[in-house]
Amino acid sequence: MTPAVLEIHRLAVHAAGRCLLDVEHLRAESGSVLALMGPNGAGKTTLLRTCLGLLTPTRGDVTVLGENVSSLRGAMLARLRSRIGYVPQLLPAHSELPLTVREVVAIGRTARAGLFHRLSRDDWRTVDQWIERLGLGQLAGHAFSQISGGEQRKTIIARAMSQEPELLILDEPTANLDLGWRERIVGTIQTLHAQTRISVVLVCHELEVLPEACRHVILLEAGHVAAIGEPEVVFTTDRVSQLYDASLRVVHQGGRHAVVPGGRTQ
Amino acid sequence: MMDLVFWAPVMAGGTLAGASSGVLGTFIVGMRIPFLGVCVAHAALAGAVFGGLCGLEGRQLLLPALAGAILTALALGLLNPQRAHLDDNTVLSFLFSATMGLAFLGIGLYGILGKSDNDVRSLLWGSLNFCRWSDVRLMLGTSTALAAYIGIFFKELRAILFSRADAEAAGIRATAVWTGFLILTAATLTVNFQTVGGLMIYSLINNPAAAAFQVGRGCRRVMWLSAVFGAISGLGGFLLAAATDLPSGAVIVLVSSALLGVTAFMDRRGRF
Repeated sequence: MTPAVLEIHRLAVHAAGRCLLDVEHLRAESGSVLALMGPNGAGKTTLLRTCLGLLTPTRGDVTVLGENVSSLRGAMLARLRSRIGYVPQLLPAHSELPLTVREVVAIGRTARAGLFHRLSRDDWRTVDQWIERLGLGQLAGHAFSQISGGEQRKTIIARAMSQEPELLILDEPTANLDLGWRERIVGTIQTLHAQTRISVVLVCHELEVLPEACRHVILLEAGHVAAIGEPEVVFTTDRVSQLYDASLRVVHQGGRHAVVPGGRTQ
Repeated sequence: MMDLVFWAPVMAGGTLAGASSGVLGTFIVGMRIPFLGVCVAHAALAGAVFGGLCGLEGRQLLLPALAGAILTALALGLLNPQRAHLDDNTVLSFLFSATMGLAFLGIGLYGILGKSDNDVRSLLWGSLNFCRWSDVRLMLGTSTALAAYIGIFFKELRAILFSRADAEAAGIRATAVWTGFLILTAATLTVNFQTVGGLMIYSLINNPAAAAFQVGRGCRRVMWLSAVFGAISGLGGFLLAAATDLPSGAVIVLVSSALLGVTAFMDRRGRF
């Protein structure tokens, strides 16, 4: 059996007296691309934040990279987080942010280097390599707040990858991007996985964001797992139409997936 | 002709206050927490007020003032806004109003007990013109500690400046480093307040940093620029005030505002 990068048992998360998440069992294998999908409020981001130890569950166990997240505190939790590359949904980009693209990517090396140590030449070499690999070379000296939304996303992915993580967690990496940038980001995720075989957990709303490498989908609905399996099995026209309460048709083609208005599954 | 022996500590104090407040401003403006200065000032005032009620007087009041400011910094640093579901500025506003309430309660007790609160008031609302070498040494001490801390934890502070939540998620000990920074910030600001006055410090926190953001790029460069703009405001403002016989504090504030105005009009493509 392939080792798990993420394993959940009887997990429940509550906030303000409301159950945000109730998952009996969930497992992601090492080297796989797992997608967590579902409508707004389904509990996707709550699940991610629990995996990172940013939220404390009411009950249950979350094991990430072999460590029980709920039992970790302080330095131990920080060490686990440094093994996870996290691309958040919301990016800080206000105009008073003085950091350049290169400095933002270097944040990925900060925890690795440790307190009381400066970033070494090797650290900066890793930073520059990821900047080049993601095609950001020309922008390295630009202010992060001045580049486009798509370029900012790529910068944050480069930051996560420069951490040399064992698990990459992407929370809606194509949010607010146009079609062109969406495809470029999906292509980047596909290429990263093909080149490094890194384990990926991807949270998204849209089927179009799933890269070909994603063969495992968990569909969440109102904090519960509604379906698990391959994208073609989970996303049927009937299920998607029912989930979003609209007449929709699901198209699966060449390992990619899309939703169009009305009709039946192709 | 200016008496240089008399005015030298004033010029040194103005330059130091400008440079150290400018460096702090990089983080305070960058993280959009401008309330921090006001909050620290009132926490220090509350500490000094209760120190006075306990019988301390004169320079001794600096100790409870520092204690009040540092306790508030600790609370601010250790309270994780994400876990508390509160915005940084909401937490600051809460601490500001609570410490202000405490300070005014204490000042009320001075009247009831028939004591004078002059010492307490002058501690927090100093004037640059009365700055002496002993004040400069104190400012130099806190500024050096602050500079050393920033030097040691620069890469962590840069990550926190980008996003404290992201830094935490990336395995950076953000809460510990940020709390340490806030404690030194509280100490530096309290010492600066009692030496050069609150109004001037508020403007020196905001304006040089905001001006540096207009023309600079890169965290380290912006921080240096902010320190230089702060020092120019402090020293330049004082010299201008001396030459024109105008109030130094007001001229320093106006010089720092003018710097921000000029940089805001500069072409952003001309950033360096």
